[in-house]
Amino acid sequence: MVLFALISLSIQNLMGAAIVFGAYSFMMCLIWAGMGAVDVAFTEAAVGAGVSTVFIVSTIYNTSATMRSRPGGMAFKFFIGVVVTLAGAFLLSALTDFPDWGDPNSPVNATVVPYYIENSIDDTHVPNLVTSVLADYRGFDTLLETTVVFIACIAIYSILRIETAKSKTDETEEGITSPPSYDPSDSLIVRQASRFMIPFMQLFALYVIAHGHYSPGGGFQGGVILGASLILLAISFDLKFLLRHWREKSLMLLVASGVFLYAAVGLACVFMGGNYLEYGILDSILPGDQAMARSHGILLVEIGVGITVMFSMVAIHINLASNGRFDRGL
Amino acid sequence: MVDSTAGSDTMENLIANFNYVIVVILMMIGLWAMLAQKNLIKKCIGMAIFQTGIILFFISIGAKNEAKVPILSKFVVENSSAIIVNDYANPLTQILMLTAIVVGVATLGVGLALAQKVYQQHSTFHEDEILENQRK
Repeated sequence: MVLFALISLSIQNLMGAAIVFGAYSFMMCLIWAGMGAVDVAFTEAAVGAGVSTVFIVSTIYNTSATMRSRPGGMAFKFFIGVVVTLAGAFLLSALTDFPDWGDPNSPVNATVVPYYIENSIDDTHVPNLVTSVLADYRGFDTLLETTVVFIACIAIYSILRIETAKSKTDETEEGITSPPSYDPSDSLIVRQASRFMIPFMQLFALYVIAHGHYSPGGGFQGGVILGASLILLAISFDLKFLLRHWREKSLMLLVASGVFLYAAVGLACVFMGGNYLEYGILDSILPGDQAMARSHGILLVEIGVGITVMFSMVAIHINLASNGRFDRGL
Repeated sequence: MVDSTAGSDTMENLIANFNYVIVVILMMIGLWAMLAQKNLIKKCIGMAIFQTGIILFFISIGAKNEAKVPILSKFVVENSSAIIVNDYANPLTQILMLTAIVVGVATLGVGLALAQKVYQQHSTFHEDEILENQRK
């Protein structure tokens, strides 16, 4: 694993570095599954190995894959190496103060966590502890993390997006001067395969969101898989094909509406007389008792997270792949 | 004599807790890449490696010996008094890292977008060349 990290940094070709970095992510995914963190492994497989590799590749597509290495600078690299080694040595010297690996009675495992494990099922009827902690006990954390994804999406828009009026003139000029040429990426096999796969990917993603209460999964993973299915559509056909179905404006509205849904569920709890994001109070409008209401509240929140993550992944990909022009790209 | 036993103690500690050693190594690699690599994309990859080091720290600190995945089985769901806390890995660190991964990819996207913008201006990813361009 460490080896993969080193290789991905030492390869001169950036495309190769991106692919090796994807392999590194898959190794991390296996390690997390081994430590019992299946939800994290799932997320890493979808995000680290899938989407982030695509982001790096689409950036490289718009720029250049070759690195110009310059002679000299080895002394500088060595100096940085010494500094970093010193920092690492300091970190290692603090090692004895940390609890042992796998100690069930360490402070991390012994303070608030036993409550979550013992009471999750009575409080919320959710067997997957990760989901109940994510969306119920730690609802504020997740709301703000979703907001961070939303803000990152806006940031990328404001950095890369180029005015449409300008790009329209570019487009017409290009359309007149250059006749449509043969595109080597225009492969029948790739198109038909993705046409066949995308419905199943989306169905699986919906299952992951809806079944996150009982098995590994939830809004983040399902949202990333849904986003990845649309990104696959954009890669195998072209960006215009995707944008015909999903307008830029509706993409951004949907990104915002996911966060809005999350916040609205919280506000609904306030209007019903409870605290913010206290889903138990919603039992008068949702079916079932208080615990069932919390379970339904978690589902609503997860759907909000899924919508935001899905469309922000798509929007980030479109921006990176088309260099902000929204016309063509990877 | 006293020194040597203390030394072997720390060695044993290092071997028993090699997860922390790996964390430190990953963070060192990431930090080195962010500082020493001249290429902006490589810097982004270094940032992601640094981040996986931190995620590994959290996940390994929440792992328990002999513990299972934090999903309750059907039997336990029906008898909620039968839950043994130490049978399940720590869900709290896991959810923190789960969201951190997704936020991490969003911030990686922001980094790459900035790198693309720099490339549009200077048509290079190399740090020194960018600085030379700016001086002109």
